[in-house]
Amino acid sequence: MSFLTPLFLLGLAALAVPVLIHLTQKERKSVVAFPSLMFLRKIPYESVQRRRIRDWLLLALRLAAIALIVTAFARPFLRGSDLAAAPGGARDIVVLLDRSYSMGYADSWSRAQTAAAQALSSATPSDRISLVLFADTAEVALRSTPDRSRAIAEINAATPGPGSTKYGPALKLAGSLLAESLLPRKEVIIVSDFQRGGWQPDDTLRLPGGTTVTAAVVEGAQGASLALTPVALLRTRDAQHERVTVTAGVLNRTAEAANNVPIVLETDGRVVQDLTISVAPNASASISFAPLTLTTPNTRAVVRLGTAGGSPVDALPRDNVFNFVLTPSAPVPVMAVSQGPAEATLYLSRALAIGEAPHFDATLQSPDALAGDAMNRARVILLNDVAISDAVAAKLVTFVEGGGGLLMATGQRASWPSARAAWLPAAIGQTVDRTRGAAARLSGMDYGHAIFEPFRAPRSGDFSTARFYSYRALTAAKDASVIARFDTGEPALVERAAGRGRVIVFASTLDLNWSDLALKPMFLPFVHQLGRHLSGFKEQPAWLTIGQVLDVDAAEIAAGATSGSAARAAAGRAILTPSGQRRDLQTPAAAAPGASVPAAALELTEQGFYEVRGSGRDAGPTIVAASNVSLAESNLDRMDPKELVAAVTGNGPSGSTSGQDVLPDEAQELAQRVWWYLLFAGILLLIAETVLAHRYSRVRT
Amino acid sequence: MATSSLPGAKFVDPAVLSRIGNLELIAKTVVDGLINGTHRSPFFGASVDFAEHRGYVAGDDIRRVDWRVYARTDKYYIKEFEADSNANFSVLLDVSKSMGFGAKMSKLDYGKTLAACLAYLANAQRDRVGLITFDHEVIDHVPPSAKHLDVVLHTLDKAKPARPGELVGPLRKLAEHFGRRGIIVVISDFYAEPEEIFHAIGPIVHRGNDVVLFHVMDPQEIDFSFSDPSSFEDMESGDQMPIVPTKLAADYRSLIQAHIDTLTKKAAQQPVDYMLLNTSMPLDFALFRFLSMRQRLSRTR
Repeated sequence: MSFLTPLFLLGLAALAVPVLIHLTQKERKSVVAFPSLMFLRKIPYESVQRRRIRDWLLLALRLAAIALIVTAFARPFLRGSDLAAAPGGARDIVVLLDRSYSMGYADSWSRAQTAAAQALSSATPSDRISLVLFADTAEVALRSTPDRSRAIAEINAATPGPGSTKYGPALKLAGSLLAESLLPRKEVIIVSDFQRGGWQPDDTLRLPGGTTVTAAVVEGAQGASLALTPVALLRTRDAQHERVTVTAGVLNRTAEAANNVPIVLETDGRVVQDLTISVAPNASASISFAPLTLTTPNTRAVVRLGTAGGSPVDALPRDNVFNFVLTPSAPVPVMAVSQGPAEATLYLSRALAIGEAPHFDATLQSPDALAGDAMNRARVILLNDVAISDAVAAKLVTFVEGGGGLLMATGQRASWPSARAAWLPAAIGQTVDRTRGAAARLSGMDYGHAIFEPFRAPRSGDFSTARFYSYRALTAAKDASVIARFDTGEPALVERAAGRGRVIVFASTLDLNWSDLALKPMFLPFVHQLGRHLSGFKEQPAWLTIGQVLDVDAAEIAAGATSGSAARAAAGRAILTPSGQRRDLQTPAAAAPGASVPAAALELTEQGFYEVRGSGRDAGPTIVAASNVSLAESNLDRMDPKELVAAVTGNGPSGSTSGQDVLPDEAQELAQRVWWYLLFAGILLLIAETVLAHRYSRVRT
Repeated sequence: MATSSLPGAKFVDPAVLSRIGNLELIAKTVVDGLINGTHRSPFFGASVDFAEHRGYVAGDDIRRVDWRVYARTDKYYIKEFEADSNANFSVLLDVSKSMGFGAKMSKLDYGKTLAACLAYLANAQRDRVGLITFDHEVIDHVPPSAKHLDVVLHTLDKAKPARPGELVGPLRKLAEHFGRRGIIVVISDFYAEPEEIFHAIGPIVHRGNDVVLFHVMDPQEIDFSFSDPSSFEDMESGDQMPIVPTKLAADYRSLIQAHIDTLTKKAAQQPVDYMLLNTSMPLDFALFRFLSMRQRLSRTR
């Protein structure tokens, strides 16, 4: 028994106070000096002993009540070691069942189920059983039930998943389950193949005190074990087509050579090429397939070891398949609008045409085009010194809030309707003439911002070389961010998110009218960064690993989505999972009106191809994402279970946690809450004492 | 100064007197105040009191012939007086431990003050004053002398209740000491059996001494006004006895009253003057009562 606040036990000394007073004070006061006892001795003697305690029961009740209340305030609890020392009592058993894909090796899973069921065979009806299925994440399949048959049914119903082994989350979950337990004995049974790759030593990972950890090792993993490594895609582009060369790697983790193993490249379910590969023991090899011409987006490509329908090359099939998506790179549609002659946008259009990742599909338009539907086909609109009418402004607002990007470069002619002035990140003021004296230069760049981040390193572009002879005075809105300033401190580049999109106001033009920025070497990457940032473009990987998250919005942009289609797609998207299930993708809502909307995300939990499709007409591009198992899980090297048990118990390989661990005393005390029962018992005793004392006094009177 | 309900007299609270350190001053304060207040003859049977005339017989001292009567009657008459000499006045003061008892003022302090007052008074009468203090044996002895008032007062002043007392032994011993008739005042709490007390006093009385017993008691000794159950310790022997005062008080009071009654009764039989003095009683009031009683008794004798 330990106490959280042992100083309160000093209160127990108060129990001795009445007794001490009786023994000392009473004795001292009782002696009265009297001249002579001559006459008192003549009086017949009456026993006048010290007042004795007559109601022992009352005294005992009072003392017990005080002792209980004082003890309750001291917050007693049983340490884990105390509990462990208890020979008997009900158990709280947590079964951690490894369902990573390595458990699908041969008959490992059935043996794991048997081992888990056997581990529960000693459970009594007073025990509580919890079942946790874990791979890279852990989930409670069954929480604290006394029904052993139900637990075994859950074990039998479970199947190994595509996840990789990670013991940390599972042990933390088991620890939290046991921390809530009030049963005197705690036990964790780990049923796993104990892959070394699944264990990362973690000092903070300790089970509650007194917990017994039992490792049930599932043997297996004998013989050949081959795994496909991620493919390498080499893209080449000629005048008309884009071609890709797929190079696959094979890893042989066994001591036996794998010779002439068939390896197949499939696209959209059809075998494109069929090769063989030989891999030396404990080595890897790679093989390249003939280049493919990319014509259709979202081509589902698979590299597979072994022939389709043929015998498997080893007992662990999940890592013999590698999925990826082949898609021709889609350009980002950019609409550049300029009021002047075509030369005005010469530098801008040339700069956009050079872009490769992403490739910008820039169209130069006059301001009149803004009134039409051309805006809906664009992802980014660049306004170079254009006066905006109220109607066009309304369309631009809709465009940006639907997911588009807008850059407004302000020259002499640029204007924005005053009624909508608050929407822009900066109010556009008077022209500042710097033709006399020194020209203005850019100085205060926010190199943490995505646009300027590539220029952060030394000799990565010096914006201060560009001279601005005139610019418009900008007054940044409160919630806007100034990402570049002139040397006078006035804002040069102001940004704000609006709905799903972004809008940036530039204080000068993107031509040579007011500045020589377009002549500077950093102009090209600056424009590319502007386009990339405003479009929200992120290069999409051809495959993901299970457990990773697909950024659906970014994937749509990469697939060439325009602002209009993105806005409509956000209204509703359906997901088709590799297992064939269809469900709706939850679109996150903005935290507040006007705030930026979080990106829609999809966590990949299955091996295969996910398809995300917008609902309705003009739903935007369909996204296909490939999902693969973690390569680390294919490494079947085993660790000594004692190592893991010792790490989580802190008590060597004996299997049970020591007393000095573990959960802090506060947590143990909180879980047990002994004080509550003591306080309740103390109050009950006081009530009983009151009733009894009342009855005694009535009897005596 | 506190006053009493007795008309014509002002009495001094013993507690006030106890604050006066000088016994002579106390005695003077008490006695002079008493005399001035009462305007009574201060002492018993002194030589100045005329008793009677008787006829001259041969052998009478012719200096005692009352010549004024001879001038009127032409016969010789001798003038007789009540007393014809100064008396020895001795105070026997009990200084045993039990006399140290008292809440506001101890019995010993009261007795010392009383003794001082009486000595002062006697000295004013030209009597010879002496003092004997005793507990279970005689401690100090000041022989009676007309010049011993200061010594008496000093001896009184230094008297302390230090040892257990025993009344009968010293009294018997002292009985042999008083060869010449005199006035013997015994001041004590008389914690002894009355028979033994008077048995010890008997020889003194039989030698012709005029014996006065002052029985000094504290109010708590008489009332037994204790309330808490306590262990009572005998101040002299040190013995302890658990007592519930509320249960024993009535019995105790009856016993102490019987003791006083017995003392009073036996004193009348001896004859010895006996007076119970409560230490809460003003000392001059006690003196006044005593002198009144002496006067009344002397007339009846």
